[in-house]
Amino acid sequence: MGIKIADFEMKNPIIAASGTFGYADEYEDFCDVSQIGAIATKGITLEPRLGNEGDRIFETDCGMINRIGLENIGIERFIEEKIPILKKKNITYILNAAGSTLEDYAQLASIANKAGIEAIELNVSCPNVKSGCLEFGVDSNSLHELVLRVRKNYDGCLIVKLTPNVTSIESLALAVEKAGADAISAINTLKGLGIKIDYINGKFYKKEVQGGLSGKCIKPVALAMVKRIRSAVKLPIIGMGGISGLSDLFEFISAGADAFEVGTHNFTQCDACVSLALELEEFMRENKFSTFKDLKTAIKEIN
Amino acid sequence: MKKIKKGTVEKIEKIAQDTYALEISSDVKEAHAGQFISILCPPKTLRRPFSIKGFKDGKIQVFFRLKGEGTNYIKSLKVGDSVDFMGALGTGFNIENKKSLLVGAGIGIAPMLFLKDELNSKGIENFLITGFKAQNEVIQGSDKTVVGGSVIDYLDEIIKEFKPQVIYSCGPEIVLKLVNQKALEHNIDAFVAMEKVFACQVGVCRGCVIKVKKDGKVQNATICHDGPVFKSSEVVWE
Repeated sequence: MGIKIADFEMKNPIIAASGTFGYADEYEDFCDVSQIGAIATKGITLEPRLGNEGDRIFETDCGMINRIGLENIGIERFIEEKIPILKKKNITYILNAAGSTLEDYAQLASIANKAGIEAIELNVSCPNVKSGCLEFGVDSNSLHELVLRVRKNYDGCLIVKLTPNVTSIESLALAVEKAGADAISAINTLKGLGIKIDYINGKFYKKEVQGGLSGKCIKPVALAMVKRIRSAVKLPIIGMGGISGLSDLFEFISAGADAFEVGTHNFTQCDACVSLALELEEFMRENKFSTFKDLKTAIKEIN
Repeated sequence: MKKIKKGTVEKIEKIAQDTYALEISSDVKEAHAGQFISILCPPKTLRRPFSIKGFKDGKIQVFFRLKGEGTNYIKSLKVGDSVDFMGALGTGFNIENKKSLLVGAGIGIAPMLFLKDELNSKGIENFLITGFKAQNEVIQGSDKTVVGGSVIDYLDEIIKEFKPQVIYSCGPEIVLKLVNQKALEHNIDAFVAMEKVFACQVGVCRGCVIKVKKDGKVQNATICHDGPVFKSSEVVWE
């Protein structure tokens, strides 16, 4: 079940998506985190951030909207406090890195390189910060330049996470490939707006949360985007968007994915990644697929 | 490992207008006042957290008010049905051997009743006052029940007569904020159980943060993990 992207090895193709699994071991009371292929960390910036004021979560039909705003402890504390825990517990992780300038990303990359961090997922598409990373994610020239800069400073496995909030995801995927990244992960959240209006004792009350939409409701969009990326580039694709069960994995493979991230479903069932990895393993064993590659081939060959 | 639990509905009964008591039997070994359980309410994405009202021999009691699809799902459960839940979660009330005033508002009475049980079992003197908007919303169990008015209006007098050394409270944020003011006026420590929408239940999603003052610095704290109970004077009230 193991897979390899560049030199980065994972024991299975299931990754916990950034922002849904903390930094390391927060869920270890509920599942054996070391059984998950990898954990993509909470988005990490050079300096610590407190995130957005006000309401941050809004539940929708079959999903949710978040506007956390990249609250995180900063790269320095992550390296000092969290990496030792991750190593001790044998947890494979991917650093999700975010910034607001080219320089931020370049610096994060060289710090990660020095710290021996084996994989980075560049967050160039967070919809919840006012300036910065989203701009890189929507313009193929800026994205190309950004990935080039990071590539120069970083020798490990470089994954770029793309936003679906663009006209041509193909051109962004091409820019990422040309700049020398090792993989693309997609999709980040969709821009959404949640409004709740109550009428109590003759008066209207409103709650409004604008942010990133995730969960089961975005799966069709994610599948479409993965398929479009696959049509444009040869890079491995880590597919995500509404994944909760084994059949979702098959659908993403069919669209062109080589690995998977599970996000919002971790909030519904916090042991979802472990369960899914076990389920996939069992399916492969029962149906005599000796490698994950064989399973992918079989699904891609469906007429 | 705590794991996600499967409990069984033991009892579900109406206790006030749109308000129900649910009892679940489980293999949970420990739970304290101020902690909560989070119940999966298919097909909703997010679990619904409920403050624990009582706990004995693995039997967990919570109160819930009908608010939408999630609580309607719970209401539809029958005795013997399975309940998928996480808990007991969060940091509850730290019980001290001090004369205790408990202030509840609405369904916020649930953890106050649990706290009262825990205080009584330790022989700690306590007084519970609870406020409700209307008579048909009243949940029994308080030493004084206020209907239609604000519990805050009664606090000066109760504090003068009962002379509490500590105050505990649970209810809407506006009530907790006013409890904090009263506690400051009377120079008494207060601890409040807070509420906000959250996704993860364990502190990772950062969806339910509030600002607290600690070590001279303002920082974020999560209601689901660092709380729900906070020292009221450390909360940065909005």
